[in-house]
This record gives sequence, C-alpha cells and structure tokens, in this order.
Amino acid sequence: MAGLRDERATAIIPSSYCWDDPMTRYWQDLKVGDTFSTSDSLTLSREDILEFAAEFDPQPYHLDKDAAEASIFGGLCASGWQVSAMMMRLLTDTFHDQAIALLGVASVQQMRWKIPVFAGDSLRADITVIDSNETSGQAGIGTLDVEIQVSNQKEQAVIVLQNRLLIPHGELEVAHG
Amino acid sequence: MAKRPYIRSRWFEDIPVGEFHVFGSHTFSELEIIEFGKKYAPEIYHTDPVAALDTYYRGLIASGWHLTAVWMRMMVDYMEHFARGVQDGRRNGAGLGLQDLEWFQPVRPGHTLTYTYEIIEKSDKVVRDQWGIIKSRNEAFNQYNEPVMSFTIDILAERNPELLAS
Repeated sequence: MAGLRDERATAIIPSSYCWDDPMTRYWQDLKVGDTFSTSDSLTLSREDILEFAAEFDPQPYHLDKDAAEASIFGGLCASGWQVSAMMMRLLTDTFHDQAIALLGVASVQQMRWKIPVFAGDSLRADITVIDSNETSGQAGIGTLDVEIQVSNQKEQAVIVLQNRLLIPHGELEVAHG
Repeated sequence: MAKRPYIRSRWFEDIPVGEFHVFGSHTFSELEIIEFGKKYAPEIYHTDPVAALDTYYRGLIASGWHLTAVWMRMMVDYMEHFARGVQDGRRNGAGLGLQDLEWFQPVRPGHTLTYTYEIIEKSDKVVRDQWGIIKSRNEAFNQYNEPVMSFTIDILAERNPELLAS
C-alpha cells in the first residue's frame, strides 16, 4: 500500500474493501487501551496535492509554488482537508488489515492541523481506543472513541483528532424490499 | 493554470460576529462519490453501488470527508466572489482546527447539499504578530432541508497592520 516515490505520479492507489474475512472483529472484540498502527506509510505526491486542490481547495498556496512559498505555510502543501481524508484512508487501511468491521465515523470531537504536509511526505497513523459504548442509538451498532495521530516521516504529528467510530456488534442483517 | 486571488476582502477587525452566509449548493454524483471513496475511504459502501446494497447503508453513500472537502470548495468560490474587485489582497490564513464535527444523514448520489457559515466568535489572540482567529459554525442541509453535517472551525484572518502597530 506504500505510495510511489515518483513525484510525477499519483501516489494514492484507489482501492475498495469488503469484510470477507471469516475472522472479522466486531465491537465486543475491542477494548479501551487497544492501539493500532498503520503497517505501511502512504506518500502524498505533488500530483495528489494539485489534483485535490484543483477540485476542492483552489487557493494559491495549494496550487502555485511561488504563492505557496510567500504564504504562512512556506511551500506547496496539501489542503488540510486532504490531510483529514488521508487520515480516513490510513484508518480504513489499518482496520482492514486488522479485520475490524467499520461502519464509519459518527463524529469528530476535536481535530487540530499541527503542521503542513508537503509533497513527498509519508504519513502513518497511530490509533488508540479511549472509550467504548455498547449503544450508538442504532440497533446492533456500538461506538469506539479513538484518538488518532497522523505523523510524517520525521515523526512530527501533522494532525491529531478524537473521533467516534461506529462498529457493529456482528454481521448486520440487511432487509431488502 | 490561471492564478486565483487571495480570498479575504476584509481585515479581521472588519468582520462582524453574527454575520451569516450561504456558500451555495452542490449535487453529489455517483461518479464523484466513488472516486473520492476509492482514494480516501475505500469501504464498499463508498465505492461499489451494487455491493453497497447489501451493507447497513443499503446503497452507495458519500464519505463524510467528501462533504467537508466540498464545504472547502464552496467557501473558496463564495469568498472569491465576495472579494471581487478587491485589489490589495488581504490574505486568508490557515485553518487551525475544528470541533464537534457531526454527520447526521447519509448523502446518496443525486443529493444536493446547501452549505451555511456563521461567524460566532473572534479571539483576541494575535498569531505570529499578523493573524486573528475567527470561529465559525458551519452546517449543511440536504434537499429536504434536513441537517446533514455541522462543525465549528477556527481559521486565521489577517489583522489590519495599521491597527496592530498602534
């Protein structure tokens, strides 16, 4: 899953996961204090940054090298929202590696963008379970509160957040019709 | 690529608490939901419209981080329009962080979200001798006027250098 080092290429490899693992872990298999880390880091290329910025955040410091160097960031850097999206990718990859069923994020209590992410930076995530609740308001689904830190290759925290994940108690029956 | 202007038309001091803006609306297509999902949130309910039918969500839904990314685009476009004709380029700064981001309703292909922005607090703190902090409440509503997402965010806005010097 590691991103390509070639800065001309898009490093984020599209994927699609389903829970086909017979050893899938559910809400009751997880507890406060559990920690998970990404096995491979993901690299954000210049192309990835420009592509995301053109679609979602077309401000000069995400699109133009000179404007970026004159800005508060000091260089061409990723949109904070792309960093947040990368956090979700790292979380999804990690939970898939761990065979944990994930029904998404219910809420984010707090998120801080600490330092900019520049082209070529490699990102990894550390995830710690800080709270667990059997009910979520939806039948058959519990919540896990986790703290997530995404770090770059220099071990600097780039984004830190606390959020509430939705984790099913088991395979959910889907009613059709 | 055409250069785009900086997007603040006013100094921090001139932006009033309580001001309310409707950034605009965006309709989410199936294709863009899938493209975003495959890159950033590759669970099948974000990537595969057929397989998604057998999941809890009973169909394809957009990633919550897709909704926030579109919020950013709506804000940039709106602020550029708001700043049209301003030549001296007061700068917009970085986002520092957000609080209480919640998603209430799934967004499916064809759904249209309308994004609103309200300035709720201005901090007295001066960041790096140049910036003020503006806190805003942001919400998105779907085509049935149901709330879909909300959060507050702290964003830097440039302070008036003449007022700072005095």
